[in-house]
Amino acid sequence: MAESLASECTPLKKEYDSCFNAWFEGYLEPAVSASSSPEKYSEYSQRKAEEFEQKCGKIWEGYRACVQKALKEKGLDIMLQQSREENPMNRPPPLPPSSSSS
Amino acid sequence: MHFVNQSHNYDHPWSHVVIGMWHKYPNPKCTHVVSIDVLDRTVDPKTGIIRTERVLGCKQKAPTWIVKLFGGSEDAFVREISFIDPRTQNATITSENLSLSQFATCLEQIRYSPSSTPGRTVFLQTAEIQARMALWRSAADGLEKWMAQRFEQNAQLGKMAFTDVLRRLWEERERMQAVPA
Repeated sequence: MAESLASECTPLKKEYDSCFNAWFEGYLEPAVSASSSPEKYSEYSQRKAEEFEQKCGKIWEGYRACVQKALKEKGLDIMLQQSREENPMNRPPPLPPSSSSS
Repeated sequence: MHFVNQSHNYDHPWSHVVIGMWHKYPNPKCTHVVSIDVLDRTVDPKTGIIRTERVLGCKQKAPTWIVKLFGGSEDAFVREISFIDPRTQNATITSENLSLSQFATCLEQIRYSPSSTPGRTVFLQTAEIQARMALWRSAADGLEKWMAQRFEQNAQLGKMAFTDVLRRLWEERERMQAVPA
C-alpha cells in the first residue's frame, strides 16, 4: 500500500485502505451478479453502501482530518479547489459509442 | 496539442482488474509515484457506483530549462477521479495535473471494461496534453513535448507494473485457495 503524502497520516491511510479493500472485494462480484435484476441490485447497493459507512466511516473521519491538514500545509488545498471548480467530474464520463453494443 | 490514444488487453476478468486497481502502487516499475491519498469517496446507494477522488504525489526530475522557466520542482501532484459501475461493468479513471497547471494541462482518461473474449479486460487510454496559449510559442511547444514524452514513458511502465500486480495478486490468492483446509 502506498504512503500518504504526509508521513503522520500513513498509518491511518493504510488502515482506511485495508478497510475499503476488504469491503470492496466483497462488494464487487455480487454487485455485478445482482445487476441482472433491478430490484435486487437496488436493495443490494443500498445495503452495501450502509455497510461501508458502518465499517469504514469512523477510520475515514480520522484519516480525512489528517490529510486535509497536510494538504493545507503544502498549499495543495488551493490547487485542488481550482481544479474542482474547473473540472468537477461529478458524473462518470459518457460511454464510448462502441461499448453500448456489448 | 498532443494526443495519446492506446488500448491493451489484460488477461484477467474485469472484477479482478478493478480490485487490482487499488493494489497498483507502490510498484518497483513506477517509482515516480511516491504517495496516494483518498480525498473523497462515495458509494451511491441507488446506482451502486463508487466515486473516488485521490491525489497522487510524484517525484520525477524535470529538465533544467523547464525548472528555470516555469519553476516547479521534483514534486508534482495529480488529481484523479474514478468511477466504478458494477451494473455496466465500466471503471473510468480521469486524471489531471495540479502542478504546472497554470502552464500546461495533461488530461488522461482510462477505461476498463470486459472484453468480448471471456476472462479478459480491455484497457483504453486517452490523453490530451496542451500548453496554455499565452506562453511563448517555442517554450510552450517544448513543455508540451516534454510532458507528452514523460506521459508515454510512464504509461508504458504503468501497464507493465499493473500486469505484474495482477499476476502476483491472483496467483497468490489461487495458491492460498489451493491449500487444503
